[in-house]
Amino acid sequence: MKKLLAGAAIALAGLSTTAVADGHANYPERPIMMMVSYGAGGATDFQARIVTMTAGNEDALGMPIAILNKPGAGGRVGWNWLASQADADGYTLGAYNIPHFIAQSIKGGVEYSADSFEPIANWGADPAVLVVGADSEFNTLQDVVDFASANPGKLTTSGAGLFVGHHIAALQMEKAGGFSMAYIPTKGGGAAAMKAVIAGEVMAGINNLSDAFRAREAGNVKILAVADLERNAFLPDVPTMKESGLDVDNSSVNFRGIMVPKGTPQGVIDKLAETVPAMFENTRVAGKMKAGGSPMHIMTRDEVLEMWAAREVTLRELLAGL
Amino acid sequence: MRGVFQRFMKTFAKLFSLLTVLSQERASAGGAVEFIFYFGDVFTPVNFGLLLLGTIGGLILGATPGLSPTMAVALLIPFTFQLEAAQGLILLGAAYTSTVAGGAVSAILLKIPGAPANIATTLDGHAMAQKGEGARALQLSFLASAVGGIFGVLLLIFLTPVLARWALAFGPSHLFWLAILGVTVIGSLDSRSVVKGLLSGCIGLWLATIGFDDIMGAQRFIFHPSLGGGINIIAALIGLFAIPQVITMFARGRRQDGAEVMRVQKHPIGAAVSELLRNRRAVGIGTMTGSVIGLIPGVGGQIAGLVAYDQSRKFSPDREKFGSGHPEGLIAAESANNAMVGPSLVPLLTLSIPGSPTAAVLLGGLLIHGIFPGTDLFDNHPDVAWTFINSMLIGQVLMCIFGLYVAGLAARVAQVPQSVMAAVVLGLAVFGSYSVQSSMGDVYVMAGLGVMMYFLERFGFSAAPLVLGLILGPIAEANFIQGSMIANATDGVMPYFFGGSLNIFLIAVVIASVFYSAWMELRSRRYTSKEEIMA
Amino acid sequence: MSEMSLPRVQHIIGSGIVAAVGIWVTYVSYTQQPSEAFLFPRLISTVFVVLALWTFFKACLGRTRVGNGISARQLTNLLPGLVIALVYIFWAARGLGFYTATAIAFFILLSLYDPAPHGLVKSWVKRVIITACFMAVMYGLFAVLLKVYTPREILF
Repeated sequence: MKKLLAGAAIALAGLSTTAVADGHANYPERPIMMMVSYGAGGATDFQARIVTMTAGNEDALGMPIAILNKPGAGGRVGWNWLASQADADGYTLGAYNIPHFIAQSIKGGVEYSADSFEPIANWGADPAVLVVGADSEFNTLQDVVDFASANPGKLTTSGAGLFVGHHIAALQMEKAGGFSMAYIPTKGGGAAAMKAVIAGEVMAGINNLSDAFRAREAGNVKILAVADLERNAFLPDVPTMKESGLDVDNSSVNFRGIMVPKGTPQGVIDKLAETVPAMFENTRVAGKMKAGGSPMHIMTRDEVLEMWAAREVTLRELLAGL
Repeated sequence: MRGVFQRFMKTFAKLFSLLTVLSQERASAGGAVEFIFYFGDVFTPVNFGLLLLGTIGGLILGATPGLSPTMAVALLIPFTFQLEAAQGLILLGAAYTSTVAGGAVSAILLKIPGAPANIATTLDGHAMAQKGEGARALQLSFLASAVGGIFGVLLLIFLTPVLARWALAFGPSHLFWLAILGVTVIGSLDSRSVVKGLLSGCIGLWLATIGFDDIMGAQRFIFHPSLGGGINIIAALIGLFAIPQVITMFARGRRQDGAEVMRVQKHPIGAAVSELLRNRRAVGIGTMTGSVIGLIPGVGGQIAGLVAYDQSRKFSPDREKFGSGHPEGLIAAESANNAMVGPSLVPLLTLSIPGSPTAAVLLGGLLIHGIFPGTDLFDNHPDVAWTFINSMLIGQVLMCIFGLYVAGLAARVAQVPQSVMAAVVLGLAVFGSYSVQSSMGDVYVMAGLGVMMYFLERFGFSAAPLVLGLILGPIAEANFIQGSMIANATDGVMPYFFGGSLNIFLIAVVIASVFYSAWMELRSRRYTSKEEIMA
Repeated sequence: MSEMSLPRVQHIIGSGIVAAVGIWVTYVSYTQQPSEAFLFPRLISTVFVVLALWTFFKACLGRTRVGNGISARQLTNLLPGLVIALVYIFWAARGLGFYTATAIAFFILLSLYDPAPHGLVKSWVKRVIITACFMAVMYGLFAVLLKVYTPREILF
């Protein structure tokens, strides 16, 4: 239902001449649409629906946010649309995934870069984790590194696609450990990559912490390491890659949040930047996110701006050789 | 040779070690009987009300062009935020089963397949409706759906642990061969010329490559920004099937050249039941094909109907009648569609892997209540798990009863004058393709493909093989690329794609399918015209 | 099915266009980079172009047996409807708003192809009523029930 409310924004965008010059005191006056560049049912879509479910409350935006899915090509389709075709009137928001869209823009062939969008707030941080099948002979990160070092290019490792968080983590691992592995991008996102690990089609996989956590609960995988600066509250027993001796930072952590296209009136951006983090903090939202196994990480607009800039630098360096 | 044979036997022994698996996994074996204890939960007033709502609403949503089961379920998710976990899932389960069956309504009456699953239903179903046998077609379709659906859910209840292994046995190389098996069907599907059937399939395979390539991220054949995401399969379906029909009605003109006044024949339900019983072969083929194919993550739902249709034609003595309104094809296709529903949820419920887009949406419906599919679901929330599965079982029955009740009424659609019909179908096509992703681009794609298809049809091409190409292209390509990546890192392409008993088995089926089709084709045409095959 | 034997020319034009598309697709597949991403398109387009050329030569030789082509009468019958449908889809739906455009296109198409005589007031009233009913159903289904917010410019 919400998803289809979406069209509202497009529809009414035609009438956007009503936006008056006196600032945007009354914003929002109608339902808002948020574009998610992954399909219904994916982790980003699922979380986006939860964090926006209280938007209609009076203490939040007072208007519902509808999700519009524009999936395709690892998110490129949706972000291309947001950068080039969406109306920058504050009624079209977009969900971002860092490092995906910055890495893709560095790699080229898309119509956006970090400068095409204005961040509003961050809601979640989903670190990449290294998983192996439950009956795998690998039990620690060291086992994996040893194998990969002894057999260059033979360790098949699945991930959700090229130039997404999983791929960045794989590249960082290779760089830090001085080995090479065979990264296998799957069509069909993290779920397909996880299936490849469980079914034994690949020897290891890099996946979202939230999905890996669920798969481990079901007894299907072992989680060997987290690609983050510190251990995660969901997995206190799993060491970080740094602890295990592989110098991998948090560049591959999948940060999810809300942004708007460049050119959105400053008044609207300010209003959103002020209300949205508070909306994320709603206890109902936090409860649902926790129940779904999705780690929350709320950041304000200024913090996100800083994080984007830092990612841009590290990713440029990492991808320079490719 | 002996080595191959031994490997063959080994894998089969592994896959069929059904009894050992069942006795080992006591928890699940006990669970299989457990479902009976939770039957009562379905019949509380609120739950039953939701089940009824989900079933009837699902039929209506399913009959609306453009609303695939995945979309219908996604639309309902926000409602389940307010409900308890079990109640929410009753609504979703009932809606899923009945949208799949509801898709047959528009496929039969309007020749608009609501989802890829219903393509095969249009082939004979719509031909029956045009002969005034709409009521019969609808009744048979609902009955076949219910039989297939109940069988599928029973498989889900009793054989889940075994089926989960089956589902995981299919890796990239196997899925690639499976897609190729689908491609071999293309030439003989709904076309009087094998060459033109294959050419239609090629056009479909090419159309499928348009857009950003998902694995490499390269741009292919994007000549308009709205093609960046590729061609949406639902929008393409609506365009390819509905628009040529609208233009054909236009072409008849005001005087309605060639159109006769339709008499819609009444059809007693009892007759439909006995007809279904007479077509045990079609029901059996449909149900088995649907259950097996539905299980395979990433492929199943879309091609189950078409494969079942093709198989039942190959085994039927009346294969010439297929395509001209022969109930066998319709029965096979519809029983396959619903048989796939239960098994398609196996990977989700046991391994927490959504095997289809609909399963992915259902996963969201579970997670929102903090329930993780897998052992957590069956051990800690058996009430939710079994109520959900039971609701799908009872949903099948309700869907069938309701469907039979309205079949006679719905069939009167065939009496609507051509002038009205053309305008109605056009309007539905536009609204339906727009609502898929709230995107005008999809409407343009729908119209462009539709007009193209009308002219192609006039020159002997047909829509069904084209759509099959459109569906199978991405499956074949992605699995080929992924498989060769894994193969290059491990033991090489040849052993990866041609080794292993499951690969060899699938290749054998592909070869058998090609030769059987060719043989049947030559035999049936010996007395007609040999020229036509190559025409 | 076949109302007339098809002029050879039509089949030559039809299969010629398909063959031209096939050649173009093949050309693009073999020239675009990166070549790994075009592996599959190359495979497909090669088969595509061979089959398309085969069909084209068959058509040139007049050996086409399948497909009835389009008679002049069918063409004059379908053209006005097709033009209205295309204007509706490619311009009016966006320019006038979905519901307004649909109502207008529906009514025009209905009036154009209704066998009832155009002089009768009764038949005009009937068509207006049918249009209103259809629009009510569409609005109820898509806007009220499914909450699809379609482009809207004039009225609703």
